Amino acid sequence: MKYGVEQERDWNALTDGAFRDIVRAEVEAHHPSELRYPPRRLRWAENRSWYLRMAAKGWIAPGWPREYGGMGLSPTKLLIFLEEMERWGIARFQDHGILMVGPILMRFGTEAQRRRYLPPILACEEIWCQGYSEPNAGSDLASLRTEARREGDQFVINGQKTWTTLAHDSSHMIVLARTDKTAKKQSGISFLLLDLKTAGITVRPIRDIAGHDEFCEVFFDNVRTPASNLVGELNQGWSVAKSQLGFERIHIGSPKLPEYGLQVLQSVARARGVQGDPLFRDRVAQLQLDVAHLGDIYGHFAAIVGRGEALGPEVSLLKIWATETFQRIADLIIETAGDCGGLAGKVQMGDGRIEVLAPFYKARPTSIYGGSNEIQRNILARQVLNLPG
Amino acid sequence: MSDDMLRMLRDSAADFASLDAVRVRRLRGAARGFERSVWQEMARMGWLGVLIPEDHGGLGLKPGAAAIIAEQLGRALYPEPYSASAVAATLALLHGDNSALKQRMLPQLAEGNVIAALAWQDERGGLDIDQCAVKARVQGKALILDGSSRFVATPEADAFIVAARSAQDLELHWIARDAPGLACEAELRADGSASARLNFTAVVISADTRVASAATAREALQLAIDHAMLAASAELLGLMDCALAMTLDYLRTRVQFGKPIGGNQALQHRAVDMYIQKELTRATLGAAVAAMDNPDCAPQRRSAAASSAKARASQAALAICKEALQMHGAIGYTDEYDLGLYFNRALVLSAWLGNAGAHRSRYATLADAI
Repeated sequence: MKYGVEQERDWNALTDGAFRDIVRAEVEAHHPSELRYPPRRLRWAENRSWYLRMAAKGWIAPGWPREYGGMGLSPTKLLIFLEEMERWGIARFQDHGILMVGPILMRFGTEAQRRRYLPPILACEEIWCQGYSEPNAGSDLASLRTEARREGDQFVINGQKTWTTLAHDSSHMIVLARTDKTAKKQSGISFLLLDLKTAGITVRPIRDIAGHDEFCEVFFDNVRTPASNLVGELNQGWSVAKSQLGFERIHIGSPKLPEYGLQVLQSVARARGVQGDPLFRDRVAQLQLDVAHLGDIYGHFAAIVGRGEALGPEVSLLKIWATETFQRIADLIIETAGDCGGLAGKVQMGDGRIEVLAPFYKARPTSIYGGSNEIQRNILARQVLNLPG
Repeated sequence: MSDDMLRMLRDSAADFASLDAVRVRRLRGAARGFERSVWQEMARMGWLGVLIPEDHGGLGLKPGAAAIIAEQLGRALYPEPYSASAVAATLALLHGDNSALKQRMLPQLAEGNVIAALAWQDERGGLDIDQCAVKARVQGKALILDGSSRFVATPEADAFIVAARSAQDLELHWIARDAPGLACEAELRADGSASARLNFTAVVISADTRVASAATAREALQLAIDHAMLAASAELLGLMDCALAMTLDYLRTRVQFGKPIGGNQALQHRAVDMYIQKELTRATLGAAVAAMDNPDCAPQRRSAAASSAKARASQAALAICKEALQMHGAIGYTDEYDLGLYFNRALVLSAWLGNAGAHRSRYATLADAI
């Protein structure tokens, strides 16, 4: 089966330059300009038409193998593809299906699960969210208490998830649930697939301090999902979820957000006329180097992934450096903005309007989600530096 | 240059260069801060000629090879002026336009018989090659040099390659240490080594010993400095890696309040931040070597890559050494403990050829231009 008109093309046979030209021409010609560099996470209603176009072209899953409906790009071509998307300021959509569910099902899923779930992910007909965190299971995720009880050929789920990004835009959820309460922490958890239209599910958006509702809490009251939606072995869900953690850390460690921050910083500096100030120049140079060196070390980890090797616990440093660099940039933006640093939304500065606080708000949760930076430092201290427990 | 060859180079340098703290301490403040016999051994290993073409008695490798050696020398705190002579002075001569002088001197440098040093900074230091305080002028039939140069590593060089401003533009001249009119005054550096302040009073020069005419001097000098910055950054990487390893060992073994101090999360997280700085330096140095080894790399990009690496390495080495000292407590502040040797070398190499602030400024200017 073919997924999109161009999906079966052999992209890797093209030269890097020719491939880059094709991707660039596509985004420049068709990506809606009002959606470039959005200051917040876009809702599905906003970027749906662009991603449906990508799906129709067969470009929605650049990293998936072609046998599963992806573009089958080599690591180098994939990097070019992502670079061109970032260069044009194209925002991600709710792409857990592409980034997590697909790769997990390819590795741990049954043939029936792949046949059922991969095609609608490729068509963007089913949108996935990630049900991991709970009110009492954040950094200590393994202490989660949402339970799934086996009844005949179904699991009955009860409990609550929270900080679920864009659950209100999603049709499906991957759920980590406790299936053996007698086992110790990690060993009693299973990985389930869940249709959010199932009876007994309540999704409630949570308004954040920036005034957006990007994440939600999700309640389960005797929610029934077929036993065939178990991914991997029963009680082995922790290993299934963990298999994607390194990937998540390298994703959060991309220089994309800090680079966006530097752009906003330059606009604010121009509007305030401080670009020539030696002290300001020095601080910007420091941040430029911090971002450039993030790019260098990101390249190092991306090359490991490119060679098909597993990422070690060292990758945690990438998440720490990327997020804290972004935060330092955001701090300098509001400091440079002066009195305008207290104004909400698009602020009149100089001849233009700048959303001064957007990077600042965007930067704050980056050191919390995906395993807080404190947890990442614990991992590095114990597993890389071999410091005592 | 094959990966195998680089690995061999790294392994041989690592085998050869282990920390001899007794020797490092003995040479501090000594009349000559390093040993000619060790320099000769380094020549026999081929290290002094890694950047010198094969037809001039060297190995003809790309500049990245020198960084590999420099990192190992940095780990072992070698006081021999490798980055200053085998990289900076050697490249200045190599990229100048005096082929007779190259023919004569490059083999001497590779064999370790002659040690040269580059003199290009003025009294204030800094990274602007136009801030040169040596002037070349015609007096009667002779060409003479006047002026001064500072921060020259090392005062023990047999010859100096001196940047001088002539009526045309910048030129580079080879001046023997015993040239009449040249006064060399040593300034003690924080690690017990020395740098020189040179004073030139009507020092007679000739076209025969002109390393680079105005046509090539500027680029030869800039290239030599850029690669010396890279080599110094590699030395800093080596020494910060050792200072961090020492500190991690201490955190694992030093017991207070009934447990190893490294079990405290406050110290663990700070140790992680030291590790992150070291890894950033390694990644950035690798990227700079890749950029600078590329023959198509434009001069401005090369300089930006060198500044990027030197800014990070200088900043990271100082940050790691200061934290290492704090975590060791009082023992780290004593001269008998080896951490101080790393600490003092970090001070010297961080400041030499531009500290982090100087390189941030240079990087910002170059980045604007690119």
